[in-house]
Amino acid sequence: MHLRCRIPLASFALDIDATFDAKVTAIFGPSGSGKTTLLDAVAGLRPIESGEIEINGATIFSSARRIHQPARSRGIGYVPQEGALFSHLSVRRNILFGAGRASTAEAARSIELEHVLDILEIGSLLNRPVTQLSGGEAQRVALARAILSKPRLLLLDEPLAALDIGLKERILPYLARVRDEFHIPMIYVTHNLTEVLTLANWVLMIRQGKLVAQGVPKEALRSTSAMAELPDEQFENVLTATLVESDAAAGRSQVRLASGVELFIPYSPRPANSPCQVRVSADDILISTQRPVGISATNVLPGTIRRIESVAGETMLTVFAGEEFFVGLTSPAVARLGLRENLPVFLIIKARSFRLL
Amino acid sequence: MAIFSFDTWQVTIFSLVVGLAATLLILPFGIALAYLFARNEWPLKTLLETFLLLPLVMPPVSTGLILLKIFGRRSPLGRWLYDRGVEIVFNWKGVLIAMAVMSFPLLFRSVRTSFAEVNPRLEQIAATLGASPPRIFFVVTIPLAYRGIVAGALLAFSRALGEFGATILLAGNIPGKTQTLSLAIYNFVQLGKDTEAYTLLGITVALAFLFVWSSEWLLRSGTKA
Repeated sequence: MHLRCRIPLASFALDIDATFDAKVTAIFGPSGSGKTTLLDAVAGLRPIESGEIEINGATIFSSARRIHQPARSRGIGYVPQEGALFSHLSVRRNILFGAGRASTAEAARSIELEHVLDILEIGSLLNRPVTQLSGGEAQRVALARAILSKPRLLLLDEPLAALDIGLKERILPYLARVRDEFHIPMIYVTHNLTEVLTLANWVLMIRQGKLVAQGVPKEALRSTSAMAELPDEQFENVLTATLVESDAAAGRSQVRLASGVELFIPYSPRPANSPCQVRVSADDILISTQRPVGISATNVLPGTIRRIESVAGETMLTVFAGEEFFVGLTSPAVARLGLRENLPVFLIIKARSFRLL
Repeated sequence: MAIFSFDTWQVTIFSLVVGLAATLLILPFGIALAYLFARNEWPLKTLLETFLLLPLVMPPVSTGLILLKIFGRRSPLGRWLYDRGVEIVFNWKGVLIAMAVMSFPLLFRSVRTSFAEVNPRLEQIAATLGASPPRIFFVVTIPLAYRGIVAGALLAFSRALGEFGATILLAGNIPGKTQTLSLAIYNFVQLGKDTEAYTLLGITVALAFLFVWSSEWLLRSGTKA
């Protein structure tokens, strides 16, 4: 997808020029940086002063060539922040509102109602009035409505922002399932780092309407300039893994990362060999310069410090232990332990510090 | 017109039928204009809006006089209509037009407010789902604004039933031909026929109560949902 657009806003101009081709592209930036405006422009809901939008080789907007496809024929599904369900229609009629549209995308033709209801677990809500849905249910219904319109691109505008933390944790896996089950490229707007690291394959970081960085999330977000943009965010390690075995009695499961490193995580009833993602906050990893003995934590990984970066008294270590792990430390701790690049260290992570997506 | 020969019930039925016809007549225009005003900005919008709302604040008799000048046989429009066998003045059609013009601002205001309360985001999302503008209007906007539309229509209807000043100038007060409830009450009081006047008074109070109450109930049930 190629996206170039200039839109003057009240206090700054949104000016983006990016080309990307990822399953999920996150647009990441603080509130008021123009993220929603950008989505609206892509969907055709907002005029663009100048620019060009191209999806899979098809130009849907070009100021130079005077192409301006209206929103209704762009074939772009949009899940706005507030869900925007039609309150006078039942869940069923909401979900089927756009289902009659003929699709342009090859992969989208295979989208079946039953499958969508199954993936989002909303089959039992079909006959309910929309006014009786909880926040998490409403978001899943809005997502189903957009998916069933068989779009060639799905836009998600902070779909989790309005939900409380517990609910976010429960809805996030649904988004991952949508990403994995339906072959619809997504643009995902968020100001939450965990969501970017969990869902996205590519990230565009924007601030004040300008693109400040882009790339594979782990790398783009690690850069010092990017870290300066998010001083208050908790940096998380998101790892792709396969479940090896689970022991209900011991209350833990074992997963294997792509590199072969095995980790203990809290118990999960999922079957062995199922793919999953595990997360651990950079602040929940301890560093030791010697192999620790007599500790309760079950995950001890030998590794080497690759990089040490400091921003405002906080230090982020990149440690290679089969995979790259980010470890957050205070600067005094770094000085006290004499940490430096290429130093062998041990990572200590409690099983309970991991979360399974 | 023999069917409108005087009788308490016939005055009532005449008023209700012409009032309903006036309401139905202005409904499509009211909805269309209200939507245009609620969703668009253009130069001189406020001026035009003020003009549309004038009958609400102008003395009804003045509005009636303007209508008489427009539809009277000596005006170009009146002449044109008369030549085609359509007579407005001193006729039930005059009652219809007076009621329609006087009720229009109430309908317009109520419907415009209810359109303004419909989140435009919903219409935008409907468009991204492939809906055409007419489908968006009839399947999303109208159903979401229907309470305000029905309440506005009820208000307009009540206003039509209460119409006096403009009607008496344009249509006169001809028993059995152009006499409405309000005109009949005035007539009976003038003639000292108190029993008839109070009977009609009772009917108007009951009708007014019914309409205002249903309109309030509709709007209130809307805010609860």
